[in-house]
Amino acid sequence: MSVNGNTHDHDSGDDAAAYVLGALEPREAADYLRHLTLCTRCREELAALAPVTDALASAVPHVPAPPDLRRRVMRAVKDQQRGEAERADRRGRKPLRLPTRAIALAGGFAAACAALVLAFVAIPHGHETPRVVSARVMGSPGAAQLRVSHNHAELVVWHLPPPPAGRIYEVWLRRGSTAPAPTSALFSVTSGGAAKVDVPGDLRGVSQVLVTQEPAGGSRVSRHRPVIVASFT
Amino acid sequence: MIRTPRHFRLTGLRRLADEELADHIRQGDGVAYEVLFERHGGAAFSLAYRMCGRRTLAEDIVQEAFLSLWRGRGFDPARGSVRSWVLAGVRHRALDSFRHQTAKAGLDVHDDVAAKGLVADDRTDTQVQREDDAQQVRGALVELPAEQRQVIELAYYGGFTHSEIAGMLDLPTGTVKGRMRLGLTKLRLSLADLVEAVA
Repeated sequence: MSVNGNTHDHDSGDDAAAYVLGALEPREAADYLRHLTLCTRCREELAALAPVTDALASAVPHVPAPPDLRRRVMRAVKDQQRGEAERADRRGRKPLRLPTRAIALAGGFAAACAALVLAFVAIPHGHETPRVVSARVMGSPGAAQLRVSHNHAELVVWHLPPPPAGRIYEVWLRRGSTAPAPTSALFSVTSGGAAKVDVPGDLRGVSQVLVTQEPAGGSRVSRHRPVIVASFT
Repeated sequence: MIRTPRHFRLTGLRRLADEELADHIRQGDGVAYEVLFERHGGAAFSLAYRMCGRRTLAEDIVQEAFLSLWRGRGFDPARGSVRSWVLAGVRHRALDSFRHQTAKAGLDVHDDVAAKGLVADDRTDTQVQREDDAQQVRGALVELPAEQRQVIELAYYGGFTHSEIAGMLDLPTGTVKGRMRLGLTKLRLSLADLVEAVA
């Protein structure tokens, strides 16, 4: 790459052009994205060239889609919707193993929101056993929890939709009201939507653990709404 | 003709701008997603077909792309238009299919061959305008020096990296990147009004 990290004395345009065309190697693209957080000139170059590739996407000759393609796509989406509804329904009926009073309470709680919110559980035994911290999942029927012990944490997710092609989930740590700091924890999910991720670093002073969808290779600065939020009270 | 509630919903949703449709989709509205496909499915199929050159594969790419976009539902207006979001998803899926099949077909699909033998659908005024815009972009591409057009098409429609293109054309990677930059800059100037509208 021609970039040397200095914001003024490198040739920014070649990498911008290659990047918007998707022609950088994955490692180069990740390095370029990190560089963008430091270099105004490169960001401006990228902003100028990106709309041209949008035009390229639309420039292909019009070829009519087969008449049954719409029906096939909508059937696949309806199947996905049905699956999401069944998973949400199963979670609503999950407290069958609990005492009756707890079932009623848990049923009402689960019905209150589309995203699953897990209650904070303190285990009063005097031993250092992992504690479970509230985790909220937005925009999908998935579930998540943080398991914390010795100021370190493991994020566990279920039924999280896979990120779109070319994107990845990234873990961020927020301290107080400062902007979230990126971590090296990038992950996708299994075909069943499951993942276990070690949250890097010491959690002392951390107020929230967040997860966003980012371009492959991760980002240094996120402009996306989090899909998972775990808050420490 | 009996008009169902779904029909009335479709009629109402069709009046919404793409970004408003995206809000409905984010909340899991499948009918809004159908309207999205109505508007952009044609362009999605055309792009997939251009990239892979095979009708059945193009259908699969479009279906997988739309399903993946539905699962993510993560349209971010800061990153461009809804149409760009859809077509980027299709392109990513097409590139994924290239990686899995280790074959990058479609590089020799010519404009006239692509449309030959296929029945034209009834197109709205918007679709006609879009075809005119597409023609303008194709015209601008043709105006580029051949070596600049070649690297742009290999990268964008073929999914090749600059290193792969350099190997194919026996050129230094810096030369390939430089031609990409010059070509895109020329396109940006040629299409100044159109690029602003697309963005």
